[in-house]
Amino acid sequence: MPLNETEAESNKIRSEKILEVIMSYARLDFSEKTIISNKGDVYDAIGAGVNMLGEELKSSVVSLREKEQLLREIHHRVKNNMQIISSLLNLQTHNIKDKKFLALITESRNRINSMALVHEMLYATSDFSTIKFKDYTEILCQSIYQSYRKPKMTINFSIQIPINISLEIDTMIHLGMILNEIISNSLKYAFENNEGTISISLKQTGSKYLLLAEDNGKGLFQGFNQEKDGHLGMQLIQMLTEQLNGNVKMESKDGVSYKIGF
Amino acid sequence: MEIPSDCHINDLTCYWTWMGLDGIARTKVKPQAEVTLKESMENSAAVNSLYKAKKFPLLIDARQIKSISKEARDNFSIKNRSTNINSFAVIIESPLSRIIGNFFMGLNKPSVPAKLFNSEQDAVTWLKQYL
Repeated sequence: MPLNETEAESNKIRSEKILEVIMSYARLDFSEKTIISNKGDVYDAIGAGVNMLGEELKSSVVSLREKEQLLREIHHRVKNNMQIISSLLNLQTHNIKDKKFLALITESRNRINSMALVHEMLYATSDFSTIKFKDYTEILCQSIYQSYRKPKMTINFSIQIPINISLEIDTMIHLGMILNEIISNSLKYAFENNEGTISISLKQTGSKYLLLAEDNGKGLFQGFNQEKDGHLGMQLIQMLTEQLNGNVKMESKDGVSYKIGF
Repeated sequence: MEIPSDCHINDLTCYWTWMGLDGIARTKVKPQAEVTLKESMENSAAVNSLYKAKKFPLLIDARQIKSISKEARDNFSIKNRSTNINSFAVIIESPLSRIIGNFFMGLNKPSVPAKLFNSEQDAVTWLKQYL
């Protein structure tokens, strides 16, 4: 039966109201609901369906926001706890003159700081799962440099990492620790004249990455044997690379270089 | 669904609720009822009070419902509360009740066996297996 003009106009208005509500839900604005009449007709059915979808969507959005807040809080707390551990280690060094002990504490603090930095950067991101490797590496280099910097020391960092490479937390923690060891070793042993360059680059081929970290310092001494002369730092680099299902190749020629594929 | 005259009827804000002589509990939504958490809890309490010795099936006539809030749907899905019913069937008919019924089943997923019906007789036949 054809609709009369009044009914047709009424249905048009009801359709427009429903569309308005759908559009507000699309903007994640859940303040509006469609009005259900006493007719119980198709327009009321569509309106009720839209209202219920809106309620479910609102509930999901709220739940997602709560989870994001929780994740942010967790990363914040992990970072804070790590910084507390780092500070405690620092306190342990007061009134200690033993250089070996002080060096061990510094190494441990830097390892902790490299992990804390991952969590600090993660809670500032929007997805809490990946961070840009270039940003992380730049901050990490400066942090370690400040830790080992001696008077009149001038070390340049050359960082060639594509800005779009973002890595997940587990990979970042491992790479952060690996880079910490490599950079620390270079700053401690490579530069006799307190001058030089540390270069770090990352190349991506498909799902594979190649990290190259090198210095232009004096290199390893003649007859260096990794098994015999390598210390905890080198063992860590080897172990962490294996955990990334990767491989590491170290060379000493015009400085020391590490090629890490993962 | 006829409201019987020979048994006690719980006359609630949005529902009439009673125990049928066949052991199947009934609840009928009042015309143009707008069910929120408060009214759904009121009905759940009334249904649970019908318990005698064992859990029972429930027949819901939702043909005249106007709206039901998410909180009310969550309550009726029996996920985080105790219940004395072991199943329920919902009678739907109008486009509005069909939409509400299907949304409820699809989104809220009740924790006891539940099914939508167009016919009261078919719903009763299905519920009898839970007596």
